[in-house]
Amino acid sequence: MSNASAAVNRKEKAAATLVEMCSVRLGKTLFGVPITHILEIVGGARPQPVPLAPSFVGGLVHYRGDVLTTVSLRHLLGLPPMDGPQDILVLESSGGCFGLLVDSVGEVLTVSSADHEPNPSILDERRRALFAGAYKLKDSLLVMLDPDRLDPMRLGGAQAA
Amino acid sequence: MAMDELTREFLIESQEGLDRMERCLTELEEQPQDAGLIGDIFRSVHTIKGTTGFLGFKRLERLAHAGENLLGLLREGKLTADGPITTGLLQLLDGLRSILKTIEAHDSEGDGEDEVLIGRLEELQAPAQAHAKPVRARAGVHTAGAIADASPEPPAAAPPAAPAPEPVQAARNQAASPAKPPQVKASVEADSEAGKPRTQAAGTAAESTLRVDVTLLNRMMNLVGELVLTRNQVLQATAADPNLTLLSRRLDMVTADLRESVMKARMQPVSNIFSKMPRIVRDLSQSLGRKVRLQMEGQETELDKSLLEAIKDPLTHAVRNSLDHGIEPPGVRQAAGKDPEGTLRLRAVQEGSHVVIEVSDDGAGIAVDKVRQKAIEKGLITAERASHLAERELLQLIFLPGFSTAAAVTNVSGRGVGMDVVRTNVEKIGGKVEIDSRQGKGTTLRLRIPLTLAIIPALIVRSVGQSFALPQGALSELVHVPPELARTAIEWMEGAPLYRLRGKLLPLVFLDRMLMPGSTHKLSTERDNFIAVLNADGRQFGLVVDGLADPEEIVVKPLSGVLKSIGLYSGATVLGNADLALILDPGSIALKAGVTMSSEEQTGRGAEEEAEDEAAKTMEYLLVEVAERQAAVPLADVLRIEQLKVSRIEYIGYRPVLNFEGQLLPVEDSSGVLAAVAGDPEAQIIVVVCREGARQVGIAVSHVLDVAAGGDLFEAGTSARAGGVTLLKNRVTGVVDLGSVPPLPVDESAPGEWGQFANGMAEAVR
Repeated sequence: MSNASAAVNRKEKAAATLVEMCSVRLGKTLFGVPITHILEIVGGARPQPVPLAPSFVGGLVHYRGDVLTTVSLRHLLGLPPMDGPQDILVLESSGGCFGLLVDSVGEVLTVSSADHEPNPSILDERRRALFAGAYKLKDSLLVMLDPDRLDPMRLGGAQAA
Repeated sequence: MAMDELTREFLIESQEGLDRMERCLTELEEQPQDAGLIGDIFRSVHTIKGTTGFLGFKRLERLAHAGENLLGLLREGKLTADGPITTGLLQLLDGLRSILKTIEAHDSEGDGEDEVLIGRLEELQAPAQAHAKPVRARAGVHTAGAIADASPEPPAAAPPAAPAPEPVQAARNQAASPAKPPQVKASVEADSEAGKPRTQAAGTAAESTLRVDVTLLNRMMNLVGELVLTRNQVLQATAADPNLTLLSRRLDMVTADLRESVMKARMQPVSNIFSKMPRIVRDLSQSLGRKVRLQMEGQETELDKSLLEAIKDPLTHAVRNSLDHGIEPPGVRQAAGKDPEGTLRLRAVQEGSHVVIEVSDDGAGIAVDKVRQKAIEKGLITAERASHLAERELLQLIFLPGFSTAAAVTNVSGRGVGMDVVRTNVEKIGGKVEIDSRQGKGTTLRLRIPLTLAIIPALIVRSVGQSFALPQGALSELVHVPPELARTAIEWMEGAPLYRLRGKLLPLVFLDRMLMPGSTHKLSTERDNFIAVLNADGRQFGLVVDGLADPEEIVVKPLSGVLKSIGLYSGATVLGNADLALILDPGSIALKAGVTMSSEEQTGRGAEEEAEDEAAKTMEYLLVEVAERQAAVPLADVLRIEQLKVSRIEYIGYRPVLNFEGQLLPVEDSSGVLAAVAGDPEAQIIVVVCREGARQVGIAVSHVLDVAAGGDLFEAGTSARAGGVTLLKNRVTGVVDLGSVPPLPVDESAPGEWGQFANGMAEAVR
């Protein structure tokens, strides 16, 4: 959310800055994650499910000698789970590292903060909590994801509350 | 805390210096004349004083200075390190420590008052200063040395402090009698003599050692684990390509060596915690009025650093207990015909993959009757039950929470939070506590600690289509329920599944049901079922799993908070086949499944288990049939039992061997079990895999019959125990001598990875 407000602030100052976003495809929507938060992209992973884990946990993957907890973006958005290998964005949030399971990772796009708009009010509550506004591209929208909001600890806390 | 590098360095060095000083002080008490020890202590304090002056810690400097003066006199032989002086020096040590602690926490010395201590240190110098003059001179030196801070006795100090330019020298000369020069010289000589080799040693140590952050070591350990996994995959991928064989072999070797070195780097000698004990024993024996001699053995035994930290408190507690409840006051000892001075022994020794630390005393021992009475009084056990328990089982009761036999609650121990805390702490790190006591003779407490926490042996089990790791430490046995028995094996008591294990009812927990609520609640009649009998925090239960894989040594990886909070898993690990497996926490499973027992039942069980464990170690045997004869294999040496087709046995010359996952296992077949089925390649044989020293051997047997406790046999008319035989189920049975299985003629320099690893561990600890 710091990114979102920062973006808004910058916009107010009318000095548009360029942000590099890694684009992620999930269903029909194009999402973007600021590349500064991405440690690595792991392709073709098959996470190991964890029985009794909160439902948004996509499983565990082995990452550089550590065991990484993943969050399923599909589950968060209420989409049916996908069979077969998925791509994982290894993200760094304030609480540590975690993996974000997505269908596929696309190219890196450079967007201008001038094109950023906050979440629309008609967005349902669940999505509003996850998204940090959107960038207007030429022919589509790039929905921005904020790693801090996707952190499993935070999601776990929100679920418990 | 922002602290400059110099101060941090100073703190670390001073801590080390003070630790050394503490060791020397306790030794000094025994050898008050040892000039080397005094010199060592002097140097420690002197170094601190020197550096503090430089860093501007005035309070520390003043205190160190006062101590240095006293030590100076000791060093010159004008004083003897008697009781009060040693006490004073220990107080000085505590004073210095507390200031260092303040500096560490607040980056400043704080403004505590040290005048009392300094006064006491000065007082102690008095006997050497029989003449009034030196006293005054000393005062003068003091003020001159410690930056003329409002000298308390300026008029008196003025006349004698004549040789102003060299006040220290003057003070020394005056304090001694007129015939100084040779004496001063002698002391200087002694000094340089004692100093030289030490300085040299210190110099080389500083050059060849390096302080490393523990988190960095942990990270290295992690990365090495990762490398091992990648190596495994590379080996698999390149197995078919002869061009890469040499390269991958080399990779294999380097990886194994690297892993060994990193493991070694985490090891520290137990002397790190043993060295704290002399002081504790000294202080306690003084305050309790005991006379105690402390003996320490095996200080060089090494243990993983984190484990060393973890056993510090339990060990201290055990030592306190021994002094408080164990060793009697000198008068009582004398009346009992014992040496008035008690002996407390600390012993560390490596036994396989464990380090055993023993705390034994020759004190009063534990009165079993008192234990029984107390346990009944506190409602920990019923009188009826207690009357059935053997002495050994009764002893284990002292590990129950809320149990304490001390007649009076003392300052030292006896608040009833003693032994159960020791046990809990040791079990937390996968260790075990055993106690042995003979009334009037003494008590021995044995802590069995695994060598390392980062890697633990685990059994891999299957459930809900996944692999899980079950720590071996909690596993006591495995029960196989074949499909045809599945229907009848479990008994139900109003919905509670129970299994009759050697006549006792064992509560069962179905792992699949626990992991996937709503799944079936019975044994499969189509495939084999397994019950892992687990002991967790004194609770015993059977965990029903779908399948078993081989045991593995696993590298424990921490879980993220969100998964830790599920409560069932203590971590995760990567298996040899690169699959991930969650590590099950037996304690939490028991808790979650509601496996709690009434305290009465728990008491009985806990004690029996301990007793059983103990018995298993000393005298349980696996009874096997070898070509129509019965033979016994010590159960403690049995690793596993393999049933396999006879065609899997291969031969090196005439020696039968088993190629087991790339490792060769010599198979002992002196009784011709293999020969009997040689004609039929489909025939099933059973191989009991045993541990023999550092290697493994297999024994071909026809049937595995039972597990039974063996009794000793004595040769008629003598009390000499007969070797090689035991009394099993009232039959004299031969014990298989594993040592007699000759080693294989294999290249010793190229063992498998685990072989190397195990050797490495053994080496690291040697």
